[in-house]
Amino acid sequence: MIWHIIKRELFDHINSLRFILTVVILFILMVTNAVVHLRTHPERVRDYSENVTGSLNTLKSRADLYTLAQKGPGNLYKSPSSLAFIADGGDAYLPKNISNEGSWSKSGPGWKAQSNWWLSYGSANPDAKDLRPQATKIDWVFIITYLLSFIPLLFTFDALSGERQQGTLRLCLANPISRPVLLIGKFLGTLITVLIPFVFAVLLNLTVISADTWTQLSTADWGRLGLILLIASSYAGIFVGLGLMISAGTREPRVSLVILLLIWVATVVFMPSTLGTLSTKWMPPLQTIDQFHASREAALKQIDTDYNDRLNAVKEKKTPNLLSLSDLQKLFETDPETARAEAEKLMAAWEVEGDEELVLKAELITRDVETRERFNREYLEAQIAQVQRARIVTRFSPAAIVQYALESMAGTGFNRHLQYLEHVHDYTRQFRQFIVETDSADTQSRHLIGIPEGMSEEPIASEAIPKFEDKIAFSDTLNTATLDLLLLVSLLGVFFLGAFLIFIRAEV
Amino acid sequence: MFRNLIRQELLSHLMSARFFAAVVITLLLVVANAVVLLEDYERRLARYSQQENTHRQKAQEAKTYSTLKLSVERPPNPLSLFSAGLDKRLGSTFEIYHGSVPLISDGSARSLDNAFLNLFSKIDLVLIFQVVLSLMALLFAYDAIAGDWENGTLRLVISHPVRRGTILLAKYIGAMVCLLLPVLMSLLMVLILLSTVGSIQLDGEDFLRIGGIVLTTTIYLSAFYLIGLLISTATRRTATSLMLCMFLWVALVLVYPNWSRFAITPVGDTRAVRSSSDQQIAQIWEEVDREEAQFLANSPLEGKPQRFNLDVIQSSGFSGGRRYGIDMKLSNQSDPLVPHVQKYHATMGALYIRSAEQIALVRKQTLDRTSLRRAIWHERLMKLSPASLYTFATAAWAGTDLEGMSDFVQAVQSYRRTLIDYFHDKDAFGSRQWFASDKGAVDWWDLPQFRFARADVSENATRALPELFLLLLINLFLFTATFLIFTKLEV
Repeated sequence: MIWHIIKRELFDHINSLRFILTVVILFILMVTNAVVHLRTHPERVRDYSENVTGSLNTLKSRADLYTLAQKGPGNLYKSPSSLAFIADGGDAYLPKNISNEGSWSKSGPGWKAQSNWWLSYGSANPDAKDLRPQATKIDWVFIITYLLSFIPLLFTFDALSGERQQGTLRLCLANPISRPVLLIGKFLGTLITVLIPFVFAVLLNLTVISADTWTQLSTADWGRLGLILLIASSYAGIFVGLGLMISAGTREPRVSLVILLLIWVATVVFMPSTLGTLSTKWMPPLQTIDQFHASREAALKQIDTDYNDRLNAVKEKKTPNLLSLSDLQKLFETDPETARAEAEKLMAAWEVEGDEELVLKAELITRDVETRERFNREYLEAQIAQVQRARIVTRFSPAAIVQYALESMAGTGFNRHLQYLEHVHDYTRQFRQFIVETDSADTQSRHLIGIPEGMSEEPIASEAIPKFEDKIAFSDTLNTATLDLLLLVSLLGVFFLGAFLIFIRAEV
Repeated sequence: MFRNLIRQELLSHLMSARFFAAVVITLLLVVANAVVLLEDYERRLARYSQQENTHRQKAQEAKTYSTLKLSVERPPNPLSLFSAGLDKRLGSTFEIYHGSVPLISDGSARSLDNAFLNLFSKIDLVLIFQVVLSLMALLFAYDAIAGDWENGTLRLVISHPVRRGTILLAKYIGAMVCLLLPVLMSLLMVLILLSTVGSIQLDGEDFLRIGGIVLTTTIYLSAFYLIGLLISTATRRTATSLMLCMFLWVALVLVYPNWSRFAITPVGDTRAVRSSSDQQIAQIWEEVDREEAQFLANSPLEGKPQRFNLDVIQSSGFSGGRRYGIDMKLSNQSDPLVPHVQKYHATMGALYIRSAEQIALVRKQTLDRTSLRRAIWHERLMKLSPASLYTFATAAWAGTDLEGMSDFVQAVQSYRRTLIDYFHDKDAFGSRQWFASDKGAVDWWDLPQFRFARADVSENATRALPELFLLLLINLFLFTATFLIFTKLEV
């Protein structure tokens, strides 16, 4: 019996105007998506590889250890995802590279110090020079979140209320069909009707995309695509359930349509962004950027004064029984033998003083870099925590859930950016360790990292320098995606159950 | 009869569930977003005044003319609440320097407290009207004629001695009143919220601008209502007309504006234009370098520019690109050279100002042919949808559109000229205080202040006019078409 109902629903829908319009709009969007991806992706890959080669070359040009320690590894670039057509992930708002070319130099009477590099993350919108009007990218996320929610509503708003109005519902239930069976039949029938054009559009999209050599989909990619289809179907199912629920609860299809569309506008169009910004209002406030700068400057100044104090202390500390230069000159005229001995003593004392100064300088430079990075990192982490919390709040909207799930599938978006940041941090640790190890291998060196006199001067083979490579790893994003999928499925259950309960009690 | 018809339409709409739902949802969205937007605006305002202070302090700290680091900041536009446009996104700090003319793309972006939050797109109030109320307009319209036709009430109404045009007009007026009610109510809510916040002061002109936005909203909603009415009249089936209306709405409001920006890249590859402009600029600089070398050849100055063979006791300053600032302490030995250095700086100052104008000309041409042209073409393509026409018209009223931004840049450019005039008045380029403060630092008491006033309402209105006119034209066309079909309709 249930097959019969599903079949009837399917034929009803497929012969309708809305089905044709659905097919047209889905195909147009999916083809556009594929074509634009084919046009823009090679450019993105080329830019990335050019950038990477550029920064590798600068790395190779830094042949001695001090330059490496001082200038750092150059810009570190984020590798673009070949699945960016699935989810753009707000590419325009996330930085594409992390720079590490900070530098200052300080000098005083008789000394000069130049800083080492540090990581800085950038705090301005990378999109700020774009004069074009703002718009959302037409990726799969756009197509799924907007259309796979809107279309099910158009198919279901009159599914029960319309039949009730016409009286066919009464007729249908007069047959030996239980209400649950009818509901399940309607649910599956509609879901399949919506998914048929979607799946075909997706296949067309993939055909166009895989015609190109730039994007090659691996087996793992195909597995992910299967998961994406699952996500899309449960998302569409949520809205089929919602449509049936409202439709079962209202007498007139006109009313159910208005209610459904308004719910849709609120949850799908507005909620993901409104909730995101609204939620930051009630979060513990972040330091403003000026406060952050001020506190960092204060800490740096403290280090600087410390250094100056200790430097002065070293300079003032006099070894007892040493002659001043003028006394020494006088002594040379009278007693050259003792004078020579005294002069040697003086030289030794100077050397000790010079050594102490060098140690102090190395310490200043290391502490300066450490403090800067610690502050930058703490601020970055506070920012990230804020966004994470906002993302949890926006998950009230199923559209946001789908967006996040698809982003982690495609290797784009915020989570991917976090992964990239982690790679950057791992790499910098490795890079610094490399410098320390290379330096300690050289017995000639004084092991004072950060100052030219204190470090190994042996040439470095450019192959030995660790190179930054940002590889997208899907394994750790898969967890969050599975969680999102579970969330979607449970939402689906809730709405279907709601429809069921209302329909069971409804008068026909 | 006409009045009766209107009253009947009004009542049937006002008592309906859809009207109630529309009002509730609109108000909810407006209030929720207005709270966020207001706070955002306050934060931007605080940051603006703080930046202003920093800029002023920096300017006062300069001891010589060449070390003057002057920047100006674009104030946030209070009407960005309604239509954000480019106001929040484009860089807002402009450096004022005689050797370069700032263009619209030169503003440096302010650092944000949390730039990642840009991932959540900001919603302005106009967007809510654009999306929710256009949908409502179509929902009011799709069964206006078709529903009556199916019920048979249309036949009943027409049997009265009433013209068909009158029926259409009555339906139109009734629905428009119902659509405008949520707009006015949410406007009221926003104004109440605004009055609780002290930092936003709207003047009379701003209220006129808001009036302009409301007017545009009316025309926009009317266009959508008429689209629905046309479809309803033409199809005569509520089911068909509803589906056409809904898909048309998705296409016009949701898909097309994003699609056209995504799929179409106007203006093609601009790398050739850019590289040729780079060459031209390089040539201009070569010319400058040549003239500098010529000057130096005929002067007793030697060594690297700026310090030359002066006997410098102490010096400080900065340099970046071709710009540099110096503050030196000279010993008496270099006194005979000082007039030559003064002459050098006077010549270079004039040279830099001239080359800056030339370069600005080249860069402006390049900008007009690349990014600006691309932006304008994107706007034009988007304007094929009434939804985008509405966005751009409201941005023009609010002054947050491209032209509003260029207004500010023009003010910045004219401030640069004022600064140059001020330098000329003080004979700054040829003075010792250009490069040395040992005989007294510069007193900045009469440094001209930067002032920027937004364009007045009439200017905003002229900018919004083309879009408004197009929207009106769409209205007119739709109404005539509906009227023609309706008069020939067999009932």
